[in-house]
Amino acid sequence: MRVAGLDIGSRTIKLVVTGEDGSMVSRKALTSYNPLDTISELCKETRYDVMAATGYGRHLVKGRLDCSVISEIKAFALGAKSLHPTAGLVLDIGGQDIKAILMDESGSVLRFEMNDKCAAGTGRFLEVMALALGYGLEEFSSSALSAARAEEINSMCTVFAESEVISLIAKGALRNEVALGIHKAIVSRSTTLLKRVSPGSCELFFAGGVALNECVRSLIAESLGVTVYTPPDPQIVGAVGAALFAASRQ
Amino acid sequence: MNNSVEPLFNDEFTGQPPAKRLLAHLQSKREKGAHLVGIYCGYAPIELIHALGLVPATLCAFSNATIEAAEAVLPSNLCPLIKSSYGFIIKDTCPFFAISEAVIAETTCDGKKKMFELIAEYRPMHVMDLPQLADEPEAIENWTVMIRKLKVFLEKTFDCAASDEDIEKAIRDTNEKTRQMNLVFDYLALDSPVAGWKEMYDLFFLAQSATSAEMAPVFDDILAKLDKRKKDGYSHSGAGAPRLMVTGCPVGGDAAKVLNIIEETGGAIVAYDACTGMKPYMRLIEEGTGDPMRALAARYLKVPCSCMSPNTMRLSETDRLIKRYRPDAVIDVVLQACHSYNVESYKTGKHVQDTHGLPFLKIVTDYSQSDVGQISTRVEALLESCSRGGKKQCLK
Repeated sequence: MRVAGLDIGSRTIKLVVTGEDGSMVSRKALTSYNPLDTISELCKETRYDVMAATGYGRHLVKGRLDCSVISEIKAFALGAKSLHPTAGLVLDIGGQDIKAILMDESGSVLRFEMNDKCAAGTGRFLEVMALALGYGLEEFSSSALSAARAEEINSMCTVFAESEVISLIAKGALRNEVALGIHKAIVSRSTTLLKRVSPGSCELFFAGGVALNECVRSLIAESLGVTVYTPPDPQIVGAVGAALFAASRQ
Repeated sequence: MNNSVEPLFNDEFTGQPPAKRLLAHLQSKREKGAHLVGIYCGYAPIELIHALGLVPATLCAFSNATIEAAEAVLPSNLCPLIKSSYGFIIKDTCPFFAISEAVIAETTCDGKKKMFELIAEYRPMHVMDLPQLADEPEAIENWTVMIRKLKVFLEKTFDCAASDEDIEKAIRDTNEKTRQMNLVFDYLALDSPVAGWKEMYDLFFLAQSATSAEMAPVFDDILAKLDKRKKDGYSHSGAGAPRLMVTGCPVGGDAAKVLNIIEETGGAIVAYDACTGMKPYMRLIEEGTGDPMRALAARYLKVPCSCMSPNTMRLSETDRLIKRYRPDAVIDVVLQACHSYNVESYKTGKHVQDTHGLPFLKIVTDYSQSDVGQISTRVEALLESCSRGGKKQCLK
């Protein structure tokens, strides 16, 4: 049986299909202004027997595609547990959400926290800040890692932080030090959420597009003092979880 | 709601906002010569109002539509309930305010207190100084004095009077309403609850102003219908639906989106611990004390509002509700910028999780619809985690 998991995120849509032989293929596309078209394009020429959808657009496809739906929280917990069974905590930083999830040994959700409707400290925040400093996304992380010290960024609001960055540059601050300050700000926001769900320490599974950022990864490990595991493709964790959910319903 | 059962309120207002039914009730009282007093809060002693032959009218506070006008004066990062209330007054769009001849206010929180100063010019207003350390021995003395002063204000404003016996009678009336209300709540405590929050909300809305004598035929009718639903094996949310207790800030109108989301996601709201819910009916007022004003003060100081400190009653009331309604999870609804409920949420959540082992979710929201998607995701995840097994790890 071929099982599909679809994660309709705010910035990207991820599709994972697992085969009977244990093989897994994944595809990604930018969500765009018309996610339904993007989904059709992504699913074209893909064969699957059952599907489950997750992500903020999950209810959009319910009724249009033959699929079940689960919340992102459950999907990330399921995906993380299957990809790395020793993890107890999941951090997902996506395009507009941050999720901190505490799991039990079976991957069931014990507690979770999400940011509210504000995109502060999310992937979108990093994108806007990189743009303000004239960096590409990869260069943004490597430049921050090269900084000897960090400029302090006080505002977590995407709009206000951008003004803060611009005024720091106007004062002659070094670009890479501002970059490191921005990375530290996003990490501080994430660790606060993590501490709310788990006062203890256990192995952290880092998922979502922001997990591709090496500077954020190392700052989180340093700040929490725990092992941080990042899967080879951190963006597909929710889709993997959705596929597992679809399979479990058979 | 399932169309196969008769609505609890089957009248010309069925399916409409419950404010319309209440307004019709108040207008009919007014046509018969009654004078109306506007109230904003669960601390307003409605028994005193009734004893004076006056009628309490709960003023509008739950619409997003009036917030824009309010923000021309009030800061935007203020509680939506305060902004909405103020917007209703300055736009003159609250029909309850229009027919009220005076307003009773309380110093529950700083935002409200200062907002009341701004609307004082519109109607005769009486602000009651609410003690906030309710367990201190002086609190009962002070609050009794405040209730006596309110009586003087109302007697002067409306040229009326009430004897101790009148107040005692009003106390007995409220107690009867509380008993009837709890008979209704028994149907939510069932393994398969036979009513949803919207019908309960209809009932709460009317009962805020009506006396138990006026409510008697309503209760008879509703209790008979609930009993029939139970005998017919009706289940409002479907058998096995996760049972939810909702606690926190008062919620209505546009903020009721949270309650809608819970039911749409498949949850059954079995306990609703807020001033717009079960809170007014959690305990009786002591009868026959010889000092009914003091008896009122004693009862109102037992309202477990987060404006009180340390408000230990919030936790003991939570225990009582969990025991009676057996929820699978607890949702704390906090209105944006309501500092006292927002901070108290930590204690409440810890108590629910550690003492009762139940999943707990805090939702901070306002009256806009912009966070409906995010709230749905959280509620879905909470309901998914209700029926989990496995052992805990990583916890202290």
